[in-house]
Amino acid sequence: MKNREKIGFYFVLPWIIGLLVFTLVPMIAAVFIGFTDWSIVGSNIRWVGLANYQEIFKSEQFWHSLWITFRFAIISIPLVVFTSFVISVMLSKNIKAVGVYRIIYYMPAIVSGVAVSIVFRWILDPNNGLINLVLSWIGIKGPNWLYDPEWVLPSYLIMSLWGAGGGILTYLSALKDVPTSLYESADMDGANYLQKTFYITVPMMTPIIFYNLIIGIISAFRKFTDAYVLGGAGGEGEFYMVHLYEQAFAHYKMGYATALAWILFIIIMFFTVIVNITRKYWVHTE
Amino acid sequence: MTTQTVKAEKKAYFRKQATKGVILHVLLILGSIVMLLPFFWMVSTSLKTEPEIITANMSFFPKGFHVANYRRAFEIIPIFRYMANTVLIAILKIFGEVFISAAVAFGFARFNFKGKNVVFMILLATMMLPYEVTMIPTFIIWSSLGLTDNYTPLILPAYFGSASFIFFLKMYFETFPKDYEESALIDGANHLQIFVRIFIPLAKPALITIALWAFMGTWNDLLGQLIYINDPVKYTIQLGLASFNSLSGEILWGPLMAASFIALVPIIAILLYAQKYFIEGVKMTGIKG
Amino acid sequence: MKRMVNAMKKTIGLFVVILTALILVSCGDSKPSNEFTIATWAAGTELSEFNEIVDKVNEAAEGKYVINTLSIPSDYYIKLSTQIAAKKAPEFFWLTQELISKYADLGAIVDLTDYMEKSEVLNADDYYEGVIQSALFNDKYWGLPWIANPFIVYYNKTMFNELGVTPPSETDDWSWDDFIEVSRQIAGKTYRGKSVYATVIEGNPNIETFIWSGGGDILASDGKTVLLDSEGTKRGVGNLVTLFRENLIPRYNTISYARNVYFERQEVAMYMGGIQDDFERKITLMPEADRFELGYAPIPTDPSGKSNPFDWTASTVMSQSVKDKDLAYEALEALTLAFFEWKIAPPIKGTLENIKTIAPDKVPALATIEHALANARSANYTEKWTELSDLYLWRGLYLPILQNPEVDYIDLIDKAAANMRSKIGA
Repeated sequence: MKNREKIGFYFVLPWIIGLLVFTLVPMIAAVFIGFTDWSIVGSNIRWVGLANYQEIFKSEQFWHSLWITFRFAIISIPLVVFTSFVISVMLSKNIKAVGVYRIIYYMPAIVSGVAVSIVFRWILDPNNGLINLVLSWIGIKGPNWLYDPEWVLPSYLIMSLWGAGGGILTYLSALKDVPTSLYESADMDGANYLQKTFYITVPMMTPIIFYNLIIGIISAFRKFTDAYVLGGAGGEGEFYMVHLYEQAFAHYKMGYATALAWILFIIIMFFTVIVNITRKYWVHTE
Repeated sequence: MTTQTVKAEKKAYFRKQATKGVILHVLLILGSIVMLLPFFWMVSTSLKTEPEIITANMSFFPKGFHVANYRRAFEIIPIFRYMANTVLIAILKIFGEVFISAAVAFGFARFNFKGKNVVFMILLATMMLPYEVTMIPTFIIWSSLGLTDNYTPLILPAYFGSASFIFFLKMYFETFPKDYEESALIDGANHLQIFVRIFIPLAKPALITIALWAFMGTWNDLLGQLIYINDPVKYTIQLGLASFNSLSGEILWGPLMAASFIALVPIIAILLYAQKYFIEGVKMTGIKG
Repeated sequence: MKRMVNAMKKTIGLFVVILTALILVSCGDSKPSNEFTIATWAAGTELSEFNEIVDKVNEAAEGKYVINTLSIPSDYYIKLSTQIAAKKAPEFFWLTQELISKYADLGAIVDLTDYMEKSEVLNADDYYEGVIQSALFNDKYWGLPWIANPFIVYYNKTMFNELGVTPPSETDDWSWDDFIEVSRQIAGKTYRGKSVYATVIEGNPNIETFIWSGGGDILASDGKTVLLDSEGTKRGVGNLVTLFRENLIPRYNTISYARNVYFERQEVAMYMGGIQDDFERKITLMPEADRFELGYAPIPTDPSGKSNPFDWTASTVMSQSVKDKDLAYEALEALTLAFFEWKIAPPIKGTLENIKTIAPDKVPALATIEHALANARSANYTEKWTELSDLYLWRGLYLPILQNPEVDYIDLIDKAAANMRSKIGA
């Protein structure tokens, strides 16, 4: 390797060592476990080859939870990434009290999952919850949210949007680095606000958008805590990770659950690779 | 153009800006109310008496200021001790996590070594496998080293960088123009100096961001801390909050909301302190613009 | 650059040395064989009470053995099973009854039958039959139940009187037909300005309660023969369906708060719940105008005249990893006996008087509690129970009925039974 290459490698080395020491062994163990019938507390562990995977593909619960998760991901990811970006741009201006706004919009991201879920159970309560209460003031009878199969997905989308402010730190960090000279020359060319945003801000932010998109994909598919606490009528709240968790810790079928995990891994990897491939077309790097 | 029309145009322009400003503020305020509502309900519940909570009348405002819940919360768990424990873990972690992650991200962002893309994909891959399935093998490894009921398994891995932080910083560094290094290299600086003297200071808001994330991650990590800590003396704040369930499964809502709110205060305080780094004006370095 | 490389090499080397040292140090780590740890899900204030009990037991043991506590305040089974997997299992731990068969089948816990037989202080027939049944698997006993929480019917005496409905008696048996008749008299009437229902059912009480109400059952005591599609089951589930179809109870998708809250807000007249439920205390906290008189009655009887209150029980089990099992059983027994004085209800016969001291506000319910304990019933569990119950009893039967009471429940039962047979046979 050339000298410059070697230096780069040394900068990355700490993480590689950490990977080898802390991550690799458990991951390899997880590969093996997926081919066994390990029950966590059992003293016998048997090799079953592909039996877990075969059982998974025949399982109605698997396909159902995959569909629920996929459908949620497809809608929520673009929605949240877009909203997050818009909020960040709005909060990047030095308007009055912007510091306070930034904290307020970021706050949803600082609470841990269970407490939030419990609060949302109240917010979405069909009879006494906040949303339906406000709707009733303007004469609308709110839906039964988590108790109505058709409204479970919207309920979870609302919860995701509430947390959309979580990305603002990433954008704000980078937004202030956009050279003002670019905006100034655009002004001189007579560009309006929307044009400036679209042709200067967005391209400069694409690396950060890329980050939030990948993270968004991973977290959407791995959605767990609120789905586990809140569920949803008609099985509409049975996300993939909830199914996995049940198999692992309620039925002690860790081998099966691990196989489920690897399938999810492959699915997430698939979408990530696609986005990564398109990277050179839209992510702007200096 | 006469001065009168210029003045009139200026007035019209400012009025338009003012209306835009008002609209913006109205939107932001409405959004703020939505964002804050759950927190308000949390505080409101913490101030309700037990009968009020039990009868689930769901009213927004408590009937009075029933601070007994807060007193009760402190009786049930030593909140401050648990917060101190958590802060200890967090600080020890942040130190390693932030700087090592930055160094690794620098390596990914600015160099092209053989196999870099593969290594980067592996980095992303480590974020994709649900930890539920690696959790027990990892525990078995630490346990065989005798490191259970111990903070070490929670802290040590941080000193090798954290995948999502590395990912973010890599993308962040990629927004820096290459001219920074070019001129420094010409001046004879080596890469380590460039990293420490140029990138780190410029990346302050991003570093603050991940320090914040690292802190929040520790503050909110229930499962990891549950698995590795046994002795209640060593409990963290999340384990403390989990202690509000009774044997029969009924939750003590009032004290729990009180304790949850108290647990939020340090994070909000840190946020308040950190956000000023995001308001700073653009640094004039002579290379930009 | 060479300096950096050398620095890194040195760091890695140091790390390896430390790691090796740690491994060597931990190899000498072994616990004295008379020290036992008990895992519990008690936390907060209840943990203090628990620790007090453990301290007393240790004192009485005078050094023969020492018991330590491991409190797991959240995700109890995750942490417990992780410890077991890492060969760091606590010597004793609490298990809920559905899991005893599984842990026994997987070889994680010890068969306590012989110990119980030889014991001079605590034998299997000291327990109420329905309670010790919960620890039975393959004709052996695998745990010592330390608490019993059978179902009874709580009812709002004030509401019954106001609506002119004759309430059930404290201990006289009444049938499910009686129950439904009473429900018909209550549902739809107006009380305190609201239209009330007979009771609320949303997954609790469990499906076992209804299956047994018609004289049916799920599995035979061999844990393999499926009895689900018997006439008795169909009759029993029919009781549940009737309650829904005649609008005697609220529909599932209109239920938006906890079951007990409906009862506390006096929107339903009756509540089937465990004897531990603390309505007595909650009523004292209510404003004067909202209080009501609490009545107690047994769970209604099946066609053979037997009341079948489902009993929820937790047992303390012994980990297979224990070295000195004889000593451990001594400690376990002492601990269990101490627990009998902690919460209601102690699961052994002849201890009803203790309830007066443990839970004084339950004294008015004493007669009903006695009746419930004597009739307490546990399902016949099997190592595959969690899956069978989740897939076929809940998803395959209970949930569909909850979501649409007009469904053909006989067909659901037949299908569930067929699926169960093939799963067990597999």
